[in-house]
Amino acid sequence: MRSKSAGDYVLDTSIYLMLTLMGVITLLPFANVLSKAVSEEWAIVSGKVGIFPVGFQLDTMKFVVTSSQFLQALWISVLVAVIGTLLSLLLTALTAYPLSKRQLPGIGVIIVLFIFTMMFNGGIIPNYLLIRELGLIDSLGALIYPALISVFNLLVIKSYFETLPESLEESAKLEGAGNLTILFRIILPLSGPVLATIGLFYAVYFWNDYFNPLLYINSTDLRPLPLYLQDIVMNANASSALDRTADQLMNVPAEGVRSATVIASTVPILLVYPYLQKYFIKGVLIGSVKG
Amino acid sequence: MASGTKAANTKVADIKVKRNRWKLFRSNLDMYLLLVPGLAFLLLFKYTPMYGIIIAFQEFNIFTGLSGSEWVGLEQFNKLLHSEEFLQVLINTLLISLYKIVILFPLPIFIALILNEVRRMFFKRAIQTVIYLPHFLSWVIISGLFLNILSPSGGIVNEIIRSFGGAPISFMTDSDMFRSVVVFTAGWKESGWSAIVFIAAIAGIEQEQYEAAAIDGAGRIRQMFSISLPGMLPIIVLMFILRIGNLLEAGTEQILTMYNPLVYATGDVIGTFVYRMGLGQQDYSFSTAVGLFNSLVGFLLIILGNTLSRKFLQRSIW
Amino acid sequence: MKNNQKRKRLQPLLLVLTALLLVLSACSSGGSDGEGNNAPANGNGNGNTAAEGTNANADADKPELKRLSVWQGEDYNTYPVAALLEEKTGYPVKYDMLPQDKWQEKLNLLLGSGEPYDAVTIYADKALYSDFAQKGALVDLMPLIEEYGPNIQAALTPEMMEAVKVNDKLYAIPDAVTYKVNSSILIRTDWLEQVGLEKPTTLEELTAALQAFKEQDPGGNGNKNVPLTIHGNQPMLENIVGAFGMPNAWNEVDGELLPRILDPSYADYVTYVSDLYEQGLLDSEFVANKDATAKEKFSSGQAGAIIVHWADIPALAETLAQTHPDAAFEFIGALTGPSGEAGFSANSGFDRLTFIPKSSNHPEEAIKWINATLEEETFKSLAIGEEGTHYKVEDGAYVPIQPIFTDERNLANNYMSGVTEHYPQYWQARVRKNPVMYEAFSFLNNEQPEEIQITNVLGLSPFMPTYSKNNQQLETMVGDYTIKLIAGAESLDGLEEFRAKYNAAGGEASVNEVNEWYANR
Repeated sequence: MRSKSAGDYVLDTSIYLMLTLMGVITLLPFANVLSKAVSEEWAIVSGKVGIFPVGFQLDTMKFVVTSSQFLQALWISVLVAVIGTLLSLLLTALTAYPLSKRQLPGIGVIIVLFIFTMMFNGGIIPNYLLIRELGLIDSLGALIYPALISVFNLLVIKSYFETLPESLEESAKLEGAGNLTILFRIILPLSGPVLATIGLFYAVYFWNDYFNPLLYINSTDLRPLPLYLQDIVMNANASSALDRTADQLMNVPAEGVRSATVIASTVPILLVYPYLQKYFIKGVLIGSVKG
Repeated sequence: MASGTKAANTKVADIKVKRNRWKLFRSNLDMYLLLVPGLAFLLLFKYTPMYGIIIAFQEFNIFTGLSGSEWVGLEQFNKLLHSEEFLQVLINTLLISLYKIVILFPLPIFIALILNEVRRMFFKRAIQTVIYLPHFLSWVIISGLFLNILSPSGGIVNEIIRSFGGAPISFMTDSDMFRSVVVFTAGWKESGWSAIVFIAAIAGIEQEQYEAAAIDGAGRIRQMFSISLPGMLPIIVLMFILRIGNLLEAGTEQILTMYNPLVYATGDVIGTFVYRMGLGQQDYSFSTAVGLFNSLVGFLLIILGNTLSRKFLQRSIW
Repeated sequence: MKNNQKRKRLQPLLLVLTALLLVLSACSSGGSDGEGNNAPANGNGNGNTAAEGTNANADADKPELKRLSVWQGEDYNTYPVAALLEEKTGYPVKYDMLPQDKWQEKLNLLLGSGEPYDAVTIYADKALYSDFAQKGALVDLMPLIEEYGPNIQAALTPEMMEAVKVNDKLYAIPDAVTYKVNSSILIRTDWLEQVGLEKPTTLEELTAALQAFKEQDPGGNGNKNVPLTIHGNQPMLENIVGAFGMPNAWNEVDGELLPRILDPSYADYVTYVSDLYEQGLLDSEFVANKDATAKEKFSSGQAGAIIVHWADIPALAETLAQTHPDAAFEFIGALTGPSGEAGFSANSGFDRLTFIPKSSNHPEEAIKWINATLEEETFKSLAIGEEGTHYKVEDGAYVPIQPIFTDERNLANNYMSGVTEHYPQYWQARVRKNPVMYEAFSFLNNEQPEEIQITNVLGLSPFMPTYSKNNQQLETMVGDYTIKLIAGAESLDGLEEFRAKYNAAGGEASVNEVNEWYANR
């Protein structure tokens, strides 16, 4: 172990300072919403709540998280995120592996076919008709199946696979292993960081997906959180009150309720990342696998 | 004569290559089988609805469907390209997008690099978690917050300016400042989130490389540039090419929640312009045409990016 | 041997594929199972016992109807009104609701793909409704109403029918608006007292009051002091526009209806408001203000006046009571302008529209059901519940009994399809839930003289294609331009040029179309 040089100290100090600063300023908005969720309504409306609560209370939070509509939406969101993430991760990894073998004939064309769909899509109506044709309207399948492969995520995994040393696979091939064995025994075990990343991306996507449920879900009890949240937040954020009737205005939820709903529907997904971080931090020891 | 031989040679080579390719195909059948579910997905959910693109060339009536709608050729595109403000809107879009790429693309890479230098696990995890928080809040909330922070009367930023004897700045209503505000807030909201993919890329670098470099006496800054950065290069190239594909999407949702008539001159982008004019509302044909215009430009840029990168960096997506 | 190896190699793949397919199919059947089970579960499980009881009694030949309505915070199927309607009409109804955001988009998809709803109720978006009607997506209701809908017929005045007809056919049953005046300037009367002024009755007095607010700073706000605050989406300031004779989006000028931008008083109005802005009497940051920012300034005691809807008052009042317990505020009555004009825009026309799409399986039953809901007694219990339980009568007015009124009838208006003539009186019970709000409502709607409540004549105009098509875009154009004028980013020198642009963008065509109807009304 080398002792730290003076330069290292300067480097470390500046890095810690920069990161602390970044941490503080990115924490502000969340702190603000959180404070609103646990402050008195009058303090929120009059703009007194900054990053600390004013008139601390937990009634709003309690009111929000015990609402049966919230709990139902939470359950739907968890269901969709868990099933969706597992299926997507599996399918994406399976597809990415052959795509990472660009020397194989036809692979280049297939990659372009995938990328094409990143930019071009048929639009809302044909998609809606397809989902209808498949009998998926008003079912959770409509939220999962159309999103099973994100081309962005596919390309990230593919790119990662490409960086793994050829030698690993070659030695396995010499021992008579097939491509599948190689994928499951050698490649995937080495892909912790990227699989964790993409898993997170999928989980966040399914958790936040607003547009698909908006279009494909009709029943109140199949609505996931983003739809529930948007209905509550939108209610008060319409750009002008002009086109809203008195009956609507009289039923606008309090700002504290809105903030509490934002917190209650965001915190569950936030917990996923710290849990996944162990896969990021360790780094990969290819040598140990090789041996 | 010489060229004839060459042609003959290439022909032989061609046949050889073809035979080789066939062999490659045969010996990797299981690889292609692996592709089947992915391709089935692609075909069913992405290419089946693709016929909808022709809506852009029609005056679409949802009740009579594609076959019962009137063909209007390129009229929808004319409506977009020939509106009076379009040129200014296009310039705004390109400028904001370019600023975002130039300033905000490198930021997450930098964050990933310096996070990698942090040895205190608790600190590292805490920072990593905190900086991605703003990603989860909607633009409505973030812009409301910035409105307060940047307010000329009582906003913290202007209080600081004032305490240094400066004159307060109306960030939100000054058309010279608006683009900067847009770029800054976008960086604030998304940099931590965008860093994740780079953090993962660094985590994928073999530890042995760092150890070897340390033994060779490379300092930490050198290791950053000679190991971490090159190790991230494939993902950087990929991200960059995909990023420029989105050139014409300068942040519609963000700008919609932040702008006002006083900053249209610099802040109105294609997405907000279309929305503001109510052009896209219920008008499927027009919104499909705008989307198609964006897609075409984006796809061409991706192809261009890939080609250039293959030529100059010897790296490419396909 | 070789084959064997190959098979071995393929095994994991096949396993994975089968697993994938299994999961997929499980998930899909799970999804549709959910759908299948959910519908009845909604009727029975979630519905209270009363609903179950009537289910058994329900007429066997009354089919279950599917109704689509606007968004509300609670599940339509379990809100007490659903059970009440089922009991009174005998029809079981399955309710779906549109989202709050992008509801037009969703409605387009649902109707475009032929979802079999028997009744659809939306906000009174006439352009959207006319579009559906013209594209042939809706059932012509007149023959059905004549045969099965005497109550519906009684609820619709000839004037209302004319206003919802498209190509001479009636495709919707409207809910008429329930009150006239929305908003005015809310002013801090304790500030007025401190600066020694009365509540303004003319524009001049308003200016003077705002000037006093600015100079004497009765709130002690220092450089954060704001005499009058508004938000960035308010180019036409309620009450002030009225003082220039332009209370409505379109006003009569020499027998002709003109939009504000073409009104001869437009320049005067803009000059007055931009002068307020320049003097620092109007919030210098109003352009960037969101609705909440403006309210924040007023309720924190930073602003002396704000322009709001009377329904916004309870939240402001509660907050001010905390931040400044001595604060007092009142709405300002119609201000008189330089040429003696004054007025508020008075709502006319509709709140909601209910129609039956062609894809409905039971259009006749739907009309019979709507007719049954408009039976006066049924309608009354739908609107305000039972006397003694949900409301009591005091001095001839309906006063809600809380909290049961809010719990069981607050959302009742979402269950209506058409309203009876008594509804405006029933409806006021909702406003009486909050005395401060009622006072403000009553000040604008009951205490102001009738002649300053100037009816928005376009509210009851028939469908006009050009006007409908261009209106929103033109309003946005004018709004943005007016904001720029007020904030000094544009000057009135360019007004004629802008008017030319406005006319070219469909303004002139709209004016012609509107006046053709107006002249022959």
